Amino acid sequence: MSSALTEVRRSAAPAAAEPVAQGKQKPPSLRQARAFYLFVAPWIIGFVALTVFPLGYAFWLSLTDSDGLSPKTHFVGFANYVEIFQDPLTISSLAKTGVFTLITVPLSIFAGLLLAVMLNQRLMARGLFRALIYLPAVVPPVGAALTFRLIFDRDAGAANGILSTFGADPITWLVDPNARYVLYGLVMWGCGGAMIISLAGLQDIPRELVEAAQVDGASYWQSFTRITIPLLSPVILFQVITGVIASLQSFAPLLLSSGSLSGAGTVPQGNYMYMIHVFAQYFSASRFGYASAMLWLLFAVILVVTLIIIKVSAKTVFYTVEPEGKR
Amino acid sequence: MTRSYRYALYIVLLAVVLAMLSPIYWLVQTSLKSPAEMASFPPTWWPSAPRFANYSDAVSSVNFVGALQNSLTIAFITTTLTTLSSAWVGFGFARLTAPGKKQLFVILLSTMMLPGIVTLVPTYLIFAKLHMVNTYWPWVAWGLGGSAFLIFLFRQFFAGIPKEMEEAAIIDGCGYVGIFWRIFLPQSWPVIAASVILSFTGAWGDFVGPAMFLSQDSTTLAVAMATGYVNDKGLPLNNLVAAGAVMYVLPVLVLFMFMQKRFVSGFSTSGIK
Repeated sequence: MSSALTEVRRSAAPAAAEPVAQGKQKPPSLRQARAFYLFVAPWIIGFVALTVFPLGYAFWLSLTDSDGLSPKTHFVGFANYVEIFQDPLTISSLAKTGVFTLITVPLSIFAGLLLAVMLNQRLMARGLFRALIYLPAVVPPVGAALTFRLIFDRDAGAANGILSTFGADPITWLVDPNARYVLYGLVMWGCGGAMIISLAGLQDIPRELVEAAQVDGASYWQSFTRITIPLLSPVILFQVITGVIASLQSFAPLLLSSGSLSGAGTVPQGNYMYMIHVFAQYFSASRFGYASAMLWLLFAVILVVTLIIIKVSAKTVFYTVEPEGKR
Repeated sequence: MTRSYRYALYIVLLAVVLAMLSPIYWLVQTSLKSPAEMASFPPTWWPSAPRFANYSDAVSSVNFVGALQNSLTIAFITTTLTTLSSAWVGFGFARLTAPGKKQLFVILLSTMMLPGIVTLVPTYLIFAKLHMVNTYWPWVAWGLGGSAFLIFLFRQFFAGIPKEMEEAAIIDGCGYVGIFWRIFLPQSWPVIAASVILSFTGAWGDFVGPAMFLSQDSTTLAVAMATGYVNDKGLPLNNLVAAGAVMYVLPVLVLFMFMQKRFVSGFSTSGIK
């Protein structure tokens, strides 16, 4: 990680020094500027057409009572946004999403970190261990969700098979209130992804630092908490931010791991989270205006939460190199 | 490391590996069970008579070949266009300067944090208005726009290539497009490999995109696997679901086994920021 960061800096520095070094050539020549915009044009056009414009369109829709079909739509101002806060189903789905995020994100980062620390030691068959633990994270989401449905099937599933060998009664897993545990299991099955990221971070920590501390009499625990964790903190922060963003917009795993696959409305209450409700509002209830307002609220929530995480972490995250955006 | 610590570590790791692999075991053994064995409780731990016909049934009872073709087409469009476009844009950010470049780069990095699904639904509505739903055009458009993360990967790689090479090319009268195409792109195969793998697995695994943008009979394997195998009462035929899922998941796992390093490099460098 830090090597990647220094690389950013190394490469950015000559770029900044370029006009000086090339001396006689005027600062970024017109020819080069034109070439630059020719090269970045696909991304700029794509960003505007496929991100900025859809977001703007959703915002416009959110101010109307559009049902997606009838050409007559009325401007309703912020009525949809007001309704969000009076709709108990929306509020409860948002709360469930929050709880889900608060549980699964720290848990999978912690599990991934623990595994990474274990597999960062000199061990036999270390590479094989890493590969096999990482493997579930590359299984396509649909495959993973279907696999968990099979394991937790009431009759043919392994979970009830294990219970029955202990003489316990079979449990209907894929409905309330148990469906949420299946979902947690599904999320945790992919914690090898977090492990790989933490592992890459651990490998970037110079061994000498830890060894020097231990020569000075630091215990393993001390060097871990005082050296390893601070040096790893940017990687952990990165995982927290991307994890929270991904978790708040969870959709496919919820629909696929419970629900009858025929629509958002069939997802059990425990897994009926925000994006499920958004899809139900769009495509089952045809309330395009209201659903668009819900999308914008999620967008705002994600933005605010990300900013809060960055702000709160600013004092605790330790950068060996200034992050590029700040310079 | 003391000996007992070492043993404890191996036991823990073996238990984790077992826990990680057991779902795959269960998927495979379910895919070989007969309907009668599926109905018995408690479930058997290995099919008494493996029924390989489940696999041919799984292919024939849904439009498997058609869905496979759609999956491959979309994966091909996404992989080639995203990789080329991201390399192209990455070259611009790595080797050229212009006013506004710094700001654009910050925007590029922050788009990696944009919630994808929030833009997906309104994008669908727009494509529906343009009558481009149920065509491959949305994937062409997404591919041409490149991926912020892959642009970043290419930019990092191109920025490390010595300047002398392109100066020599400029003296020889080569334009920037030629420099990109003849000098930079051929050198960047490690990033191209990572990009191909990441965009292929992304497109292959995507469920929400094809579920929204394609109709049921022109959809991809991901959607067909999740919705296709039901009996006339609408209940899932779990042994066929399992057989279909094995065939759907297998290409990705094979790719992973042979290209593990690329998978990991692509995945772990995502921790850069």
